[in-house]
Parts: sequence; structure tokens; C-alpha cells
Amino acid sequence: QEAAKYEKKVMVLDFVTPTPRGNSWGLGGTCVNVGCIPKKLMHQAALLGQALQDSRKFGWQFTEEVKHNWMTMTESIQNYIGSLNWGYRVALRDTKVTYENAYGEFVGPHTIKTTNKRGIEKLYTAERFLIATGERPRYLGIPGDKEYCISSDDLFSLPYCPGKTLVVGASYVALECAGFLAGLGLDVTVMVRSILLRGFDQDMANKIGEYMEEHGVNFIREFVPIKVEQIEEGTPGILKVTAKSTTGNQIIEGEYNTVLLAIGRDPCTRKIGLDKVGVNINEKTGKIPVNDEEQTNVPYIYAVGDILQDKLELTPVAIQAGRLLVRRLYAGATTKCDYVNVPTTVFTPLEYGACGYSEETAVEKFGEENIEVYHNHFWPLEWTVPSRDNNKCYAKIICNIQDNERVIGFHVLGPNAGEVTQGFAAAIKCGMTKEQLDSTVGIHPVCAEV
Amino acid sequence: MGWEEVQVRGYPEFVRTAQRYHGRPIFALFCGDKDAEGRSWCPDCVTAEPVVRKELHNLPDESVFIYCLVGDRAYWKDPNNEFRRNLKLTGVPTLLKYGTPQKLVEEECFKAELVRMLFTED
Repeated sequence: QEAAKYEKKVMVLDFVTPTPRGNSWGLGGTCVNVGCIPKKLMHQAALLGQALQDSRKFGWQFTEEVKHNWMTMTESIQNYIGSLNWGYRVALRDTKVTYENAYGEFVGPHTIKTTNKRGIEKLYTAERFLIATGERPRYLGIPGDKEYCISSDDLFSLPYCPGKTLVVGASYVALECAGFLAGLGLDVTVMVRSILLRGFDQDMANKIGEYMEEHGVNFIREFVPIKVEQIEEGTPGILKVTAKSTTGNQIIEGEYNTVLLAIGRDPCTRKIGLDKVGVNINEKTGKIPVNDEEQTNVPYIYAVGDILQDKLELTPVAIQAGRLLVRRLYAGATTKCDYVNVPTTVFTPLEYGACGYSEETAVEKFGEENIEVYHNHFWPLEWTVPSRDNNKCYAKIICNIQDNERVIGFHVLGPNAGEVTQGFAAAIKCGMTKEQLDSTVGIHPVCAEV
Repeated sequence: MGWEEVQVRGYPEFVRTAQRYHGRPIFALFCGDKDAEGRSWCPDCVTAEPVVRKELHNLPDESVFIYCLVGDRAYWKDPNNEFRRNLKLTGVPTLLKYGTPQKLVEEECFKAELVRMLFTED
């Protein structure tokens, strides 16, 4: 749409290869259809369940037992997503961007072949190309994985309640899904190969894991599944999972209604003909290296988003990078995408917001003696009356002593972490120091004042 | 079989008609009532109607096109009227594909391209 503003002739090719279960979705990419949007809505559904429980202590009286209906929730969420898909169609058409629901692949210089779901092929040429094909969930490569397991691609539109679920993985996808499934009242187990939330501050990651464990999520640590078999067909059926220890020879078995794989995502770069046009990709990971202007080694081909090597996999980053790229190409702008100090939030039952360095990375980069960490536990006022945990919420900032105690890392664990973090991210971008932070008067009573 | 048009007035008649054609693709255009000279109190509806009618030949076979007059201006302005409450309409004219989130509202209905897209995409 940005390019169309500058009167360029633009075409968008979007095609979703169905999941092993046959699932597919509309225009909008992962975030809208099988990522951030449905995830946050289901997280909200779980939070509301908790709120209902808390409400009794605040005087709300209801005698009926409160139950959750998976189908009602999923239908509402899918309807909303449908309206987003439609909104994008209207927006593209309105800005005269041509949209084709077809699979695109390069067949030669400046030339792309599209194949739609009916198998009809067309050829197009263009001056420039932007690849933003994103990623898809990885499967384990063990017997029964594609036939019986589901991924996040299937979970958000699952036409039946998943029941007793085994989540395999320890990424934020795994923990967020495990978190809301448990919050909706389901029996959830998480099978972790080694550590939680690799790449995130481990101090915070462990606190998240602890909280989830204390709130009913089972963890099986240092095991990996080696086989999935179906014991009973059904929606859901019963699956038997056999797992092996990573530290010894121990084998365990378990029965679950659903097995959700969340062990990583692989870039969709292997089957789009990049070899035909000479675009380099990292053979091992499938990611595309680009320069700081999002350009691949082929000058007329650019890439943004999750498929980029060594860049953050976040929707807003991809959007920002895309927009700035177009402005540089067609509006004479020079601003490049700033990948530093990008705030993120993990929507586990106890939300975690972060911006800047983790404690480990800061120590590695600046040396332990040059870092000062300020931290605090806090008890949200809203949790006091219903007697919820009084020592779980936590905030810490990491400061660079050598640079005026500039705040280089911000981490908060607590309700509405995303909302809290956004403001601090702007402050960090402005180079806020500890002194400036201290001199900012807190809003009371809110969690963010700590 | 081609497509057919049904004209209705008011919410109950709309619902009955939509139910009668359950199973076929249903498109509906909601407009403000017309006076004795055939002019609607809603100026945007006056603009949109010819645009929509010109695109009707793009309707898929077996479709039903329901042309629905919602009521007079006072009825429409009431924030609790049945169209707003039950069908979640936010403005007139609204052109929608019944049972889906696909709809065009107000000035979007002036654009032949968008109307055509609503009628022909799946």
C-alpha cells in the first residue's frame, strides 16, 4: 500500500499452503490469522476466567459454576479475523494494489510464476520484488507427528476443544499457548527439551515457568518425544506419546487428547525459486541475509520480516522495515529500520514485557562490573483483595554505569506488561538514564510506578 | 439459474426472507426509506444504489439479492434499532454478504470495483 501511494504499479501474492490437517486462512499473514491476534484474544479469554474467580472476592455473586465453551470463543475470534481479512482486501483494492491468492516463485530474472489453488499458472515481470513469506511451524520428524499432532497453525481454528493437551516446546509460542489453554480449564503439560524461552533473559524466563507451574501447568523437563500413536480416533481422540530423556536412557509414556508442537518455525524460502535468480540464503536455517537496507545479494530483490537472518521476528518490525524501505526507494527518504531497543511482550499467564538487553547479554557486552541492576517485587493492588500471589510480579532495569547509568534493559513481569513496556521503550530510545527515571514521579496506584 | 432480487422493508421481513433462502449465497443492500417520489432520505443511499445495481450481473449463480429498506430517518437514528443491534449495521447504505464478515459501508458502496469484489470473491 505504501508503494501504491507513490503511484507504483504493485501486486501482492499471498498463498497459504494448507497444514498437514488441511487448514488454511485468508489475507493478512501469520500475525492476523494464526499468531498475535488470535493468541492475544485467547489469552484474554483465559484472563477473563481468572477475573471471574477474583470477582467473588470483590462482591460479585453468582451461584452457577462457570464453564468455558471452546466453540463459542473460536467462532467469535475467527469472525473477527475474517473481518480483518476482508478489510485488507478492501484496502488493497481501494489503493489499486493488485492482489492474487496464488503461490509465487521465481523462474528467471525479474520473472515470477504464480499458481492459484486451481493450479492455473501465470507469469509476471516486475522491476523490483519484496519477499516477505514468513515462516511455518516446524515438525519433529518422528513417527506420527504430521498425522496426529497439531501446530499453532491449527490451534486457533480447531473445531473442537483440544482437551488434555501436551505442548512440546519451550518457546514463547509454546508457553503462551500452554498458558491460555490451562487458563481455560484444560489439563496442560509442557514437554521441554532444555531451557525455557531461549534468547530471553533467563532470570525472567524461570520466573515465568515457576508461576505457570504453581498455577496448574505440568512441566516435563529434559525429554523429547520420539513417537506419537493414535489410541482412539475422535475430535479430539486419544494419543499416546513416547518420550526419551535427553540426559539418560529413561523412556516415559503419556496419553493426551491433543499434542501441540511448538518447537520452532522455519522460513518459507526453500521452494520459491530463489536459486533461479541467485538469491543467497543460509542453507542451514533457510534465512535470507540482507544489508541494512533490506536488500538481498540480488539488487532488485528485497526481503523483510521473519525470514531475515539475524533480525527480530516481530510483526511491527517487519511492517516498519517494509514501509521505510518503500519510502527510501520511492520517496527519497534515507531512514533505515532501527532494530535496536525494540520492545516485546510475551503473553504468558504472568505477562512479560522487555526492551533492550537481557541481564546475561548486558554482562557479556559491558562486563559485570559496569552493569548495575535495579529490581523490585511488587504486588498489584488488584491482586490484594482476591489474595493472589504477593511476590510474583517483578521489575528490573539494567543500567550502564559507564554511560551515565543509562537504562539499557527493561524487564517487567506482571499484568498488562505490554502496555507498561511500550512507554518505557520510548524513553529508552531517547536515552533515559537512571536519574531521569528516578526523577519521574510515579502514577499511583498502578504497577508501572514501581 | 442466475440470480434473483427480493425487495423487503423492515427487520422482521428481512429476517424471514434471509431464512427462506438459507443455503444460497445472500447479498443484501440496506437503504433508507424512499418517499412518494422514490427518493431516499439518505443521500449516500441515493448515490450508492445505481452503482450497486450496475454490478448485479456479477452475482454468482443461485444468489439472492435482498434490497432492504430499513425505515425512516428517526428509526435509523435510534441506536437500539434491530438492524444496529442484531445485524451490527453501523451505517446506511450497507452492502453485505449475509453470514460472512464481508461488507461495504457508506462511501465504500460508491466504488464499483469494491462492489464487484464483494460479489465475485470467495
